[in-house]
Amino acid sequence: MTVRQLAIQVFRHDPRDPGSRPRVVTHGLEETPGMTLFIALTRIREEQAPDLNFDFVCRAGVCGSCAMLINGRPGLACRTLTANLPATITLFPLPGFELIADLSVNTGKWMRGMTERLQAWLHLDAEPDPDAIEAAMDPDLAESIYELDRCIECGCCVAACGTARMRPDFVGAVGFNKIARFRLDPRDHRDDADFYQLIGDDTGIFGCMSLLGCEDVCPKSLSLQTQLAHLRRVMARRGLATGD
Amino acid sequence: MKLLHTDVLVIGAGLAGQRAAIASRRRGLETLVLSLVPARRSHSVAAQGGMQASLGNCVKGAGDNEDIHFEDTVRGSDWGCDQIVARMFAHMAPKAARELAAWGVAWNRVRRGDHEVVINGERVTLTERDAAHGLITARDFGGTRKWRTCHTSDGTGHAMLYALSDRVVAEAIPVLERQEALALIHDGSRCHGVVARDLITGELHACLARATVIATGGHGRVYGISTNALINEGIGTALALETGVARLGNMEAVQFHPTAIVPAGILVTEGCRGDGGVLRDRHGHRFMPDYEPEKKELASRDVVSRRMAEHMRAGGGVVSAYGEHLWLDITNLGADHIERNLREVKDICRYFLGIDPARDWIPVRPTQHYSMGGVRTDPRGQSPWLSGLFSCGEAACWDLHGFNRLGGNSVAETVVAGMLVGEYVADYCASEEGGQTLSTALAREFVERERAALEALRAGPGDEDAVAIRRRMEAVMTGKVGLFRDGEGLRVAVDELADLLQRSRRVAVPGGTGANPALVLGYRLPRMLKVALTITLGALARTESRGAHFREDFPARDDRHWLKRTLAWWPDGADLPALDYEALDIPRMELPPGSRGYGGAEIIAHPDSARRQAEVDELRVGHLDRHKLQPALMAFKQWLPARYRGRNARLDEPLPPAPSP
Amino acid sequence: MNTSIPAPSDHPGPWPARLDLLQSLTGLFLGLFMWLHMLFVASILLGPDAMWTVARFFEGYFLFGRPLPWLVSLFVAVVFALFVLHAWLALRRFPGQWRQHVAYWRHMRGMRHGDTTLWFVQVVTGFAMFFLAPVHLYLMLMHPELIGPYESADRVWSGGLWPLYLVLLFMVELHAGIGLYRLAVKWLGWSGAGRARLKRLEWAFTTFFLILGLVTLAAYVKLGIEHAPHAGEPYTPTWQRSAP
Repeated sequence: MTVRQLAIQVFRHDPRDPGSRPRVVTHGLEETPGMTLFIALTRIREEQAPDLNFDFVCRAGVCGSCAMLINGRPGLACRTLTANLPATITLFPLPGFELIADLSVNTGKWMRGMTERLQAWLHLDAEPDPDAIEAAMDPDLAESIYELDRCIECGCCVAACGTARMRPDFVGAVGFNKIARFRLDPRDHRDDADFYQLIGDDTGIFGCMSLLGCEDVCPKSLSLQTQLAHLRRVMARRGLATGD
Repeated sequence: MKLLHTDVLVIGAGLAGQRAAIASRRRGLETLVLSLVPARRSHSVAAQGGMQASLGNCVKGAGDNEDIHFEDTVRGSDWGCDQIVARMFAHMAPKAARELAAWGVAWNRVRRGDHEVVINGERVTLTERDAAHGLITARDFGGTRKWRTCHTSDGTGHAMLYALSDRVVAEAIPVLERQEALALIHDGSRCHGVVARDLITGELHACLARATVIATGGHGRVYGISTNALINEGIGTALALETGVARLGNMEAVQFHPTAIVPAGILVTEGCRGDGGVLRDRHGHRFMPDYEPEKKELASRDVVSRRMAEHMRAGGGVVSAYGEHLWLDITNLGADHIERNLREVKDICRYFLGIDPARDWIPVRPTQHYSMGGVRTDPRGQSPWLSGLFSCGEAACWDLHGFNRLGGNSVAETVVAGMLVGEYVADYCASEEGGQTLSTALAREFVERERAALEALRAGPGDEDAVAIRRRMEAVMTGKVGLFRDGEGLRVAVDELADLLQRSRRVAVPGGTGANPALVLGYRLPRMLKVALTITLGALARTESRGAHFREDFPARDDRHWLKRTLAWWPDGADLPALDYEALDIPRMELPPGSRGYGGAEIIAHPDSARRQAEVDELRVGHLDRHKLQPALMAFKQWLPARYRGRNARLDEPLPPAPSP
Repeated sequence: MNTSIPAPSDHPGPWPARLDLLQSLTGLFLGLFMWLHMLFVASILLGPDAMWTVARFFEGYFLFGRPLPWLVSLFVAVVFALFVLHAWLALRRFPGQWRQHVAYWRHMRGMRHGDTTLWFVQVVTGFAMFFLAPVHLYLMLMHPELIGPYESADRVWSGGLWPLYLVLLFMVELHAGIGLYRLAVKWLGWSGAGRARLKRLEWAFTTFFLILGLVTLAAYVKLGIEHAPHAGEPYTPTWQRSAP
């Protein structure tokens, strides 16, 4: 098998440097077996561009740091094998988030804002007794909650969402999935009227145009569309029952 | 100069840091968290298999309690741990797991009736009790006598970190993300906070705090191949080291996990073996029973890793383009079990190896995984040498793990230590010492010092290559300070690392002062090298083998001379760290040194061990109630905050009725 | 220093839910109606008598014994109103500003994602229908009696409306097919294989109706050309014609 020469076209820009202009720099690289974009970018930084910014933390597909546009589509760079891509690869920072520099974006800030806005935490009735046996939970329910809890907040769904691209205040699938997760959890004392207050408008569930980008790019294969449709039905029912 | 004031400053937003922040915030203290990365990207998120807590709900965990967890932990540590801390920990772990259950972690639950499991390669039917239905279940892990590892599939760290991080947001605790601590501000006896650098803008500022908590995780990245996240470079540990005052404990104690995939070095959980997976060699032969007939694949990690390396040396390894490896075979667990309980493993195999673990064997070999050593603290998590400096989680040497930690104990440690240290920090802030005024002038001095250091680095000769130095450090650590060590290799390693440290101050730093990874590498490299040197020097000095520290030239565990903890600090301007030792007090041990029951190493006994064992045996005679016996064996509850001193309820061990008022 | 947590968004009230539901319901009605409408119009393929029967049927001929074209006007008025309502509701989703337009366009180009592109098709077809459909609707509203084999054929050919109908055919069928598919995922949340099947079904329907529409239009054009010398004369069903 011949060794491929990769041409990796990387977006470069530091918005805080007045001298910087957005540009694309092409780096040639010899492909190695099992090469991921993590390995490729690390080599580029080590051998060609020591000041190239990108975010990898776990490099194992679980922390959600390294989402970027890979040939135009959002994905986790760390677990993308170059062998599955053409020899020319373009890498852009994830849109929809504040650009830090080059391929690094501030998803953390966005996610914290979303969490605060949606009050995406378990609303407890009371703190547990540290000595007592835990409350029982149906094993299937626990698994269903974990299924929704698997979101890694990588931001791919937001970047893949046409609605979010046009309306930056749109909650996005990551937020809806959180609401669905807490709604399913019997430990959370909120009811649908409470959730309606959080997502019952056009920046929320009724703004979603079902473009399905979120579902199709989710690295954790979460059933986002199923959750969105379910929430839409529940929230519509709730909305119709609400007085003016 | 920007100056922040807070009561409590937590560096690191993993499980330990965030849990400590919640505790101190709940005590009414203004609490601030600094983090290199967004909180939920912390390495805690990668913990897969689970958290040990002796709940005793599932049938294979029935009868479990703090005593058994404590003993497993001490044996796992090869008697290197602090037994008071291990007792505090075993007592707290059920409280921590149950608190997280209430806070939203979707622990896998017990399902009543029959279910099939794989034990020692055989399919076995277990019958769960009706009473336990819906309570937190557990899986088997290495070095434990009961099934004690609570889990959410194999994404336990993720579920826990998100639940804790949710609470941090709910309680409005600010997390300053993409901030790096560059130095601890101190006056030689009291810590006043840190100098921090904004990784986006490059701006330096001081953060003054009455108490500073280092919760920055491990330092696995000084090794070339590690299961650790890329941020685990030991910078928090190095900050304590660089004070010249605070001391690090047992830095030579470095754990190698038996099953990281080859070549990426990504971990696949011990749960694979806990759930019934086996290790095979190039012939497909299951070799672990040949070495460890009792625990087989489920001996402690240090032992399994060493046995694997031994077997590869004996010619059992599979030869590949990336060096030798062995096979982890979980095909016998079935596709359904893997889909439900080992889904991260399945994803990792699919994306990084292109295989399906339900059908194919996984190429694995022992890989650096955990740092037992760290910032040495007392049982309250405070540095005995620098007042106001606390540490918890993997960054600390609280000393729960001694020379080897059990799988599932570190995740448990993070939350337990966070719960406790957060309380102790609050106690400290309420004390006279904690109330002392912080010095703005000192802060300014430290910020200027760091600024000057950065400028000097950028203006330096630039005739050294940072990446090359780093790669060399990694190679030295992996090659000479790995699973097997010897005096000769360690001496060479110390010399080379010391040389690299000198050269690291001359590296070229292209790029600006803002978001610039070249600058970050430039200032981190000397710190990483100091950590690497501390590990290596400690390993060279310790002429015995204990837990994960294995000296081929001194293969015996030498309790007579080495039942002590290494302490290291870096005197100002020195080329190498200074070492000292802290003896472990056998006459106070609840579990005197003895055989671990696996690993089969020679032990040079300490004369106090047998004496203490006789004392303990005598105390146990006639005592049926373990709770009443405990204070006589080894009192520990005085170290716990009052709110956490209560007994843990279990199905088989309900709480005694509350005394009538 | 404290990050403040915003209060829940100012009580969204029932309107977002109502409007979203209304958009979907009007779309559902219009989409299904257009499919039926196509079938009615295609009755010409079974012969002028069949088409005449269908046309008179809607005028109540078989109920009241004589044609009442204002019944058709009434129905057209209702459809017209729903059309305007649907357009107004849908307009809320359209990229209103140039910035949004560009954002969506770039996003769509990069993503190369079917459902994202299809939404743009809906925007374009919807926009086109906004101008084209009222022409037809107004004619039908004012001249309901001009529905019949010769009447319609004359309108298509001699009236010069065949280009309008040709364009409308594509606009309507694409918009209706995609819209009905989107309604299904939006409210019922088809995921994975189910969604792929649903999409295949949608394209089957759209293709069927497009072919049917083209053949039907050709039939009217042919009839229109043949009837051009007598343009304006209404059709008399064979059984009502007196023997020559």
